[in-house]
Amino acid sequence: MAATEPVAIIGWSVSPMERRTDKTEAQLLLDVITDATAHAGISRADVDFTCAGSCDYVAGQAFSFVQNINAIGAWPPKRDSHVEMDGAWALYEAWVRLQLGDLDVALATGSGRSSTADPATIYPMEMDPYYLAPLGADAVSMAALQARVLLDAGLVTERQMATIAARTRRDAVANPHAQVSGEFDVDALLAGEYVRDPLRRHDLPPITDGACAVVLARGEKARELTDRPVWITGFAHVAEAHQPGVRDLRVSTSAARAAKAAGVAEGGPIDVAELQSAFTHEEPVLTAALGLGPEVAINPSGGPLAANPIMATGLVRIAEAARQIRDAGKRRALAHATSGPCLQQNLVCVLEEGR
Amino acid sequence: MTTYVESTVRFPYKRSLGPVIGQFMTGLTEARLLGIRADDRVIVPPVEWDPETGEQLAHEFVEVGPAGTVRSWCWVEKPTTQHPLDRPFAFALIELDGASTGFLHAVDAGRREAMTTGMRVVPRWRTERRGHITDVEAFVPGDQPLPVERAEPAGEPVTMMTYDAEVHYLTPVTENETRVGQAAAEGRFLGLRCPRCARLYVGGKNDCPICAVALTPQDEVDLPQRGTITNYVIITPVQYPGQTETEPFARVHVLLDGVDVVLMFQPVVDLANDDVRPGVRVSAVWTPPDGTGRRALAGWRPTGEPDVDDPALVNRIH
Repeated sequence: MAATEPVAIIGWSVSPMERRTDKTEAQLLLDVITDATAHAGISRADVDFTCAGSCDYVAGQAFSFVQNINAIGAWPPKRDSHVEMDGAWALYEAWVRLQLGDLDVALATGSGRSSTADPATIYPMEMDPYYLAPLGADAVSMAALQARVLLDAGLVTERQMATIAARTRRDAVANPHAQVSGEFDVDALLAGEYVRDPLRRHDLPPITDGACAVVLARGEKARELTDRPVWITGFAHVAEAHQPGVRDLRVSTSAARAAKAAGVAEGGPIDVAELQSAFTHEEPVLTAALGLGPEVAINPSGGPLAANPIMATGLVRIAEAARQIRDAGKRRALAHATSGPCLQQNLVCVLEEGR
Repeated sequence: MTTYVESTVRFPYKRSLGPVIGQFMTGLTEARLLGIRADDRVIVPPVEWDPETGEQLAHEFVEVGPAGTVRSWCWVEKPTTQHPLDRPFAFALIELDGASTGFLHAVDAGRREAMTTGMRVVPRWRTERRGHITDVEAFVPGDQPLPVERAEPAGEPVTMMTYDAEVHYLTPVTENETRVGQAAAEGRFLGLRCPRCARLYVGGKNDCPICAVALTPQDEVDLPQRGTITNYVIITPVQYPGQTETEPFARVHVLLDGVDVVLMFQPVVDLANDDVRPGVRVSAVWTPPDGTGRRALAGWRPTGEPDVDDPALVNRIH
């Protein structure tokens, strides 16, 4: 849906991205909430509503989000919500909540310590419990099945995938939070062994611990708090069928529908996009579905291939897209998040500069 | 310094299957693969609602396969403990003969070079089938159905399934938590006082939940060993895995003298269930040192002092 009440991003923070952090998830959140509220020029007391995205299976603990509330400073009591989804969906809920018009400032977070366990044993727990989970259907296998469909259809080549990896790693050099970055030769990458044929190491994201926090403010409040609000001018998310075998994996129908609903094609060209393409082959599927041409800069941060903090990766895309407008002079940016096997659910957030 | 604790968490789920998945699972016990009709398509494995329209599907089941065509595949060189095979195998989307969709399962092809898109595969059935997706051990290359043992009609329909996953976790233990644990091993309670609001916490908190500031060893305070029961529950034990209690037992919240938060769900010593009530004054009972000199909190014993008469006690939480 198009925004009925203008809501802006006024501050954000992205934690260091590490293979294994010494900090608990609550401690990661304590830091990014302190930094994001400081970035927005407010205190925790100014936040009216909080929504967190995290996952008990990742944390290895039931109700793990309850401990994370310690990081919010929720006294006097604050309105709070939680989604068992990436923080991008927490931000969506916060944006919807602000539409009610009675609250002005909201905070969305995403956090995850993927190092708590082998992600390949956690991911199946989140799959369909009858047909997929008992087979141990893991994220890399699911992605590899989609990659094969694309390769067989001639919609992508292994060289193209390696080129995407080399580009994102090169772009990530400038990102202090990147876990994987540097100059890589495409031929050398292609000479690497398959990790899960047809995927090689460079086609996969790293395993990352990290968190992100983003502060939203509504209308006049946003203008009062900052001279440089980053307005959310379109926001939508769409899910399609969970079973990958019933979908046409050559395309992303739900990403295309989300882009249409968010008004991506209206209101001028998109300058830059931050996509949650955690696997190289997902980038061309998404750029096609979102209608992004070669003139659009994709993942200047390095994207999820540079750092992939599960449950925060999507929210980081929104923070990085906002950064492109606030700090890199871009006018109109698209942030994308995804969830579920083979790009099952897709979220699109359009950001624009302006007073 | 942060340390780590290793644990293995089991997720032993029992799930009811409903009329559609149950029919499919019942079919598996008979070594038959079933799909469900959705207009001109046959969806395998069957789902209750049309993936395109969301409409509930009529329960019109169609037998498919057993042979099928690989529409996509990937090679799993190093299987996890949750994968269906313990040797290299392929995951594949298999379009079973007569089906319109891809069925995810394993292909036991032996080596990667044996896999191609478009290849034909057939199921290798387990001898003992219980109505579970792994009743098909794996598909194998080939076009001709393999002989099946005991492919007779099911006696009873399958209505339930189990899913028993295991995840091995490595969880951080913070310095504050470690130091509180070390103090307890010496028979001491270590508290942490917020440097901003001066609230005094038990239990190795890493930050003040009111002020959202980090607590450090500089904020440590030795706590008294006496307090007051603020609330309680009498638990009638259900014999779930790990439950060692067999008779109804008490768990109490204890507010240590001068502390701002309660110690939750504490055991009691020398206090009958009928005598547990808010206001009882108690003191800590520690186990004797073990072989390594470590103590542990055994529970809380009444001191004999008069009860604290404060109706607001029960409202003390966390």
